[in-house]
Amino acid sequence: MTAPGDGIFAGVKILELGAGAAGPVATRYFADQGATVIRVESSKRPDFLRMYHLTKDGPHDLDAAPMFVLMNPNKQSIAINMSLPEGVALAKRLVGWADVVSENFSPKAMAKWGLDYESLRADHDGLIMVSSCLFGQTGPQRMYPGFGGQGSALAGFNHLTGWEDRDAVGPFGTITDSLSPRYVALLITAALLRRDRTGEGQYLDVSQIETAVYSLSEMIVRCSANGEVVGRRGNSSDDAAPHGIYPCRGDDRWIAIAVMSDAEWRLLATEIGDPELADASRFGGLAQRLAQRDEIDRRLAAWTQAFDAHELMARLQAVGIEAGAVLTLDDLLADPQLAARGHFEVLRHDRLGELQFEHCGIRTAAAPAAQLLTPGPNLGEHTNAILRDQLGMDDDEIASLAERGVLV
Amino acid sequence: MLAGIRILDLTREAGFLAGKILADLGAEVVKVEPPGGDLEGRRGPFLGEVSDPERSLLWLALNTSKRGITLALDSERGRAIYRSLVKVSDVVLETEPPGALTKLGLDYESQRQAHPGLIHCALTPFGSEGPFASYRAHDLVTVAMGGNAALTGDPDRPPVRCSMPTAYYHAGPEAALGIAMALFARARSGGGRFVDVSLRESQLSTLMTAPGQHAHSPRVRRRNGSLLGRSREIWKAADGDITFALRGGQARTPNLKATVAYMAEAGMAPDWLVDYDWAAYNLNSASDDEIARLEAAFGAFFATKTRRELYDQALARRIMLAPCNDAREILDQAQLRSRSLFTTIDYPEFGASIEHPDFFAKSSRCRIGIRSRAPRIGEHNAEVFGEVGLSAADLAALSAEGVI
Repeated sequence: MTAPGDGIFAGVKILELGAGAAGPVATRYFADQGATVIRVESSKRPDFLRMYHLTKDGPHDLDAAPMFVLMNPNKQSIAINMSLPEGVALAKRLVGWADVVSENFSPKAMAKWGLDYESLRADHDGLIMVSSCLFGQTGPQRMYPGFGGQGSALAGFNHLTGWEDRDAVGPFGTITDSLSPRYVALLITAALLRRDRTGEGQYLDVSQIETAVYSLSEMIVRCSANGEVVGRRGNSSDDAAPHGIYPCRGDDRWIAIAVMSDAEWRLLATEIGDPELADASRFGGLAQRLAQRDEIDRRLAAWTQAFDAHELMARLQAVGIEAGAVLTLDDLLADPQLAARGHFEVLRHDRLGELQFEHCGIRTAAAPAAQLLTPGPNLGEHTNAILRDQLGMDDDEIASLAERGVLV
Repeated sequence: MLAGIRILDLTREAGFLAGKILADLGAEVVKVEPPGGDLEGRRGPFLGEVSDPERSLLWLALNTSKRGITLALDSERGRAIYRSLVKVSDVVLETEPPGALTKLGLDYESQRQAHPGLIHCALTPFGSEGPFASYRAHDLVTVAMGGNAALTGDPDRPPVRCSMPTAYYHAGPEAALGIAMALFARARSGGGRFVDVSLRESQLSTLMTAPGQHAHSPRVRRRNGSLLGRSREIWKAADGDITFALRGGQARTPNLKATVAYMAEAGMAPDWLVDYDWAAYNLNSASDDEIARLEAAFGAFFATKTRRELYDQALARRIMLAPCNDAREILDQAQLRSRSLFTTIDYPEFGASIEHPDFFAKSSRCRIGIRSRAPRIGEHNAEVFGEVGLSAADLAALSAEGVI
């Protein structure tokens, strides 16, 4: 493990106001690379992720929600009661400390506190600030409350996932919460690069839904150009056949197989050893296989079901066929490739015990992935240290703020 | 924002978006295709359904703001020209299988001697090293091995992927971020670096820490159709699908109450629901019978309304409900229109104009967005090769030899 200060973003100071996944996942990229990320929180209105508990009998308080803890490692937390003017003034002083403010509240929150960009930049011209709520800062629906579930629906991902003859199912997860943070982190990094060059800060208004629609540019362009409305179609493709997920031995075990060329089909037909499938006059070309994909899928499924998914994956990949076991959460935790990349890293949390934290998909040097030092913070865990070290307050000042209910 | 950054983009489809993002943000991205064009990346569907690689809608959608050249990297002359292009570039972005560029002598290690500031980003299915590094995968296999497929789909059918390639959509911006991080590090330290991005690993973030939650409190999780949590989250309206969640908690209770009020006005809220104690409601601890009773009442109501009616009322009443839009409905969304998300690009040679989602972020300082249409095959050969000293006569000779 590398020491703090060694990361790419060592010395960068980020103030985070926000909740849920979209904002906090974005700032994690920085926290994991040496930046100081301070979350402004309050027990008066806690991050809703702090209230997600997995079991009825486990620890059940704001500091023991596994999802929150897993999403926010390496960050510090200061508790500030934002319903008091003194609390807002304190947050404003922290803005003076920060290079970057990242927030994902609804648009009214920051303005209500006088923490909107226009108010803040007056005293801090180099400030970089990003707002990333669901709909963006302008437009008729900007004040509408929303979570990622609505984002996935509005941006098209629910409609696109499932079987043609069945209801939409939506991809697991809330996809705007996984798409938007990487764009937000990219924009912050680009703004930091530009500030290094020009000395200028900037304000960035990001709509989570728009990051998802931009991702789906191909679908939008196909509709605008040809009037095509792409629908959900199970696992099938117009560019490959077979292209699907097939049963394997065991309870609910599956393998994905994608045959991307005629040559790969010949390899697969050889592995299966079925002379009819190997008949090039029937199945040799993509057009033939697309026309008969139901039959191919049936025969392939009859073959795959005798095999262990992991063994069949290794066998097919060894001959150059795209095959992947449908991995469960247990499989991922034991996955040899993820282990080789150091994807999971164990940190101990004082309430929850050992937890498996994850890294992102980027490695910027041979190893290790990044630097996980501390689990997601307890609410207000670093309040005193931040006031002392970053704002230069003495113990009396801090005690006085605490007495007046500002630090909750 | 990234003006002045020069990027050589050798990617196949999986990396188109990464290069596009950087180009739409202002970087000078040169897309490199083999002579004759990247026919796999220029596949259908085609504009006007006329089969022609210049009309590939995938290509046109995901290569905006880039310049385009053709260059045969399998020829010695082509590789020499490539090396001269690398010398004037900050970044190489590629999606070749691990080791493929090493065989051509074009890998990061062989370029960094001559160009210590070079940043080389390899976007591969599983990463450039490790036991699965040589495994092959497009989107489907990546999503299967990324853990998302197992949890997506109907319980009585195989696991399912999104019908558009979500693995590329996650890895594209993550690769762009990796490059920006390396640029930031270089600005501080002077040195370039290798950026190794895994498609599959980028996809894991869709699980929202589910692996770590599972390791902490194991429980069997299975795909369950429209029931994304314990209860249904995609419902039938009279004319299609909507999303709505029966989740409780401080942030969501007002919307549950507002929904019941809406139902009551339509005479469709049973008495027990009108007086429901939402403060005491917790989806995780509610009984199966309780959830079934709630689902039946809400579901019966939604089925009587169109998606338009429900969404209009949701907006007016602050109910967290939304239609499951398709592409046409997205293009019609008033909110997106009001923010000018879509930009029209003219393709005069085809007599067509196409709306593209523009780069969405609004900056107080920089103009961000699509600057030009995707390049035609070899469109910028003269310009780009001219920048490394090749003359028109050189280009004619190279073209005749099949190098460009």
